[in-house]
Amino acid sequence: MPSTIVTLKLNGTERELIARPSTTLLSALRDTFGLTGAKRGCAQGGCGSCTVLLDGRPAVSCLIPVVTVDGCAVETVEGLADGDRLDDVQQAFVDHFATQCGFCTPGMIMSATALLNREPAPTRQDVTEAICGNVCRCTGYEPIVTAVLSAAESRRDGAAEGRHDSAAERRHDGAGERHRDAAAPLSGKAAG
Amino acid sequence: MLISVEMPDSAEAAHASLQAGAVPLGGGTHLLTRMNDEAGPDLRVVSLRKAGLRGIDVDGDTVTLGAATTLADLEDDPRLGYLAGCVRSIASPPVRTLATVAGNLFVPQPYGDLAAALLALDAELDVLGTAGLRRERLERVVADGLPEGELVTRIRFTAPAPGTFRFHKASRRRLNSGSIVTVAARLTVEDGLVGDVRLVLGGLSRRLLRAAGAERVLRGAPLTAEVVAEAAGADVIEPFDDAYASAWYRARVYPVHLRRALLGA
Repeated sequence: MPSTIVTLKLNGTERELIARPSTTLLSALRDTFGLTGAKRGCAQGGCGSCTVLLDGRPAVSCLIPVVTVDGCAVETVEGLADGDRLDDVQQAFVDHFATQCGFCTPGMIMSATALLNREPAPTRQDVTEAICGNVCRCTGYEPIVTAVLSAAESRRDGAAEGRHDSAAERRHDGAGERHRDAAAPLSGKAAG
Repeated sequence: MLISVEMPDSAEAAHASLQAGAVPLGGGTHLLTRMNDEAGPDLRVVSLRKAGLRGIDVDGDTVTLGAATTLADLEDDPRLGYLAGCVRSIASPPVRTLATVAGNLFVPQPYGDLAAALLALDAELDVLGTAGLRRERLERVVADGLPEGELVTRIRFTAPAPGTFRFHKASRRRLNSGSIVTVAARLTVEDGLVGDVRLVLGGLSRRLLRAAGAERVLRGAPLTAEVVAEAAGADVIEPFDDAYASAWYRARVYPVHLRRALLGA
């Protein structure tokens, strides 16, 4: 099968690549687009270091043939900051020493971002469940959980003060659309 | 290595590709781990992502799941709250975004916890074969498999009455871990006695096991610790060693987890 052209809405911008059938989303991000935030750890979906948002949901990019997600929205850790200004989750990771070697951090931040986009006021249990697929061998997880809870609080405070964060709003809106899509009834065509 | 990935836009087109020798690709959470890990054979796969097989219908108490519905879709649907504990026990959010309902039916033990739940609910499958669409009981497919080239398009089951569905999974970690023992059951109790019961065990044999012996012990009996202990000894299980637990350990703790599943203590 020849290579095919794949279009992704990558961090809000439409991008194209020529992909072989075996090219994973992770390879495309790192090798084609130079977005090296997502890491190749286990390549088994077990460590979470390659986690990105796929149509607003966290997904292990190492297990996705990129041709299967043609037309999808992909968000990576590189899309979070506004220039030099870190977003709430990134800043909380800095403030709470939630990163040491840094290998897990981009995936961890994307899992946390997915959680906060869906649940603005998570419990500690919610955070633990959200990051259960992201392995960290340095921190012991406690600073990470604290950072995510702190980021949630910052976002809520920002919302209460009317602070405008267009990137965060865009993610919220997108997640809502996707949720409705997923809940749609089966089409007549699928009835077989 | 993947040498081709087809993206059909209908179940019929996907089936045609399977008939031509391609392998179905649901979420890829099983197949891609092997592709990434081994210098395996060249594979032609047919992705079901855009084949119109994703969605959830609830019509009265009949629930129909498209084969390519993701575990995350199930998790999001408040109408399927009785499955939430099961679904959230499977892998992690970034995997559940991809993993599909039909894919879970065919993963080897100690995975396939959703399949255990659907088997306890006596689910039926719509299967597209060369003779067209037919219905199969999941129990038959779990036992015998499906011929190569056939495609599961939908999974259908009757929603359990409130309080009649039990799911309990023991694993090394509370989250994101393969099963040591999984118990899924649909069970009614009337006047203190067990009425209808379907009991399915995961993690205890190479295939999901319908615990027919335990069902016979339970049916018509009071739901007490003594009866459940007797039920735990009523089936031949063939536990296995893996990285999560030894066969000995699985056999040793099965009665404990059957009790926790049925009595909550």
